[in-house]
Amino acid sequence: MHEPRDPGELLTAAADDDRTAWDELESRFGPRMWAVARACGLNETDAADAVQGAWLRLLEHLHTIRDPSGVGAWLATTTRREAMLIARKGQTLALRVEIASEPDPAAAVLEADSSRLLWKTVSSLNEPCRTLLQLLATDLGYQQVALRLGVPIGSVGPTRTRCLEKLRTLIQLQETVQ
Amino acid sequence: MINDDYFLAALRLAAGNDPIPGHVSATARDAYGLRVPQAVTAAPAERAAPAGVRGTDGCHMIRFVAAGLTFDLEVTVGDGLIDIAGQVIPPPGEGSHVDVRTPHLTLTRRLPRTGQFAATGLPPGWLSVVCHRPGHAPVQTRWVRIRP
Repeated sequence: MHEPRDPGELLTAAADDDRTAWDELESRFGPRMWAVARACGLNETDAADAVQGAWLRLLEHLHTIRDPSGVGAWLATTTRREAMLIARKGQTLALRVEIASEPDPAAAVLEADSSRLLWKTVSSLNEPCRTLLQLLATDLGYQQVALRLGVPIGSVGPTRTRCLEKLRTLIQLQETVQ
Repeated sequence: MINDDYFLAALRLAAGNDPIPGHVSATARDAYGLRVPQAVTAAPAERAAPAGVRGTDGCHMIRFVAAGLTFDLEVTVGDGLIDIAGQVIPPPGEGSHVDVRTPHLTLTRRLPRTGQFAATGLPPGWLSVVCHRPGHAPVQTRWVRIRP
């Protein structure tokens, strides 16, 4: 087994004609870019365009990325920018996009490689937040979530807001400590 | 609120839900083949009709400038496909050609003395034009997204 290559090393190799390095960048960062595009409210076709756009921008900047080791964050940020441009053209998402252009720490969690930290933090929450967020992460509708938790469906939305707020505070605290 | 959406997307990512579709990964990998070594990239620039503005007849006028070359592109979207009429200014001279590229299709056009070219029936999505001139580095426009 080879040690996984550093992102900066992968970028340099890709700029130097190494296709396997490009493929490795894709498998490392593609899923996160997809999540970023979807988080901006894009449908599958538009999200695919946003992700593809970010890769094409990387091609344009293969030799000029200022911080090669931060290429993952660069790709996520570029995906978000392309996604917002696409959403803006659609106009219907204009309001949401304006809010998204000033992302809070939640965006940083998604754009940085913090999935494990996020999941660990969710697991440390008390009930019903822990189960609720785990269920929402699996894309269950409010009705299903209400059934599983044994609560009225009308309470799921407000509880969701409260639990996300709690999670946001905890993540912020951990980032401050780090 | 979008920030909650963002947070939930992070959770879904962490949970392994809403995975990236295979075709999106495959297209990203194939994009590597669209590299043009040593190319200079032309950035969008203003022109009399503002760049990227859609005219009443459904056509976009886009200008790109770099390395002393200007690309004027008139992009028309009709029937779900894209037609391009373009001009490279100043005319780049004998033996030059342009590649009109989308991620899945490249059409090559020899450039006449006027520097004008056309390409029709391109699939919607990302598009870029590369000008090749003997004795010069290739000049490519930035990728631009064209959808109906």
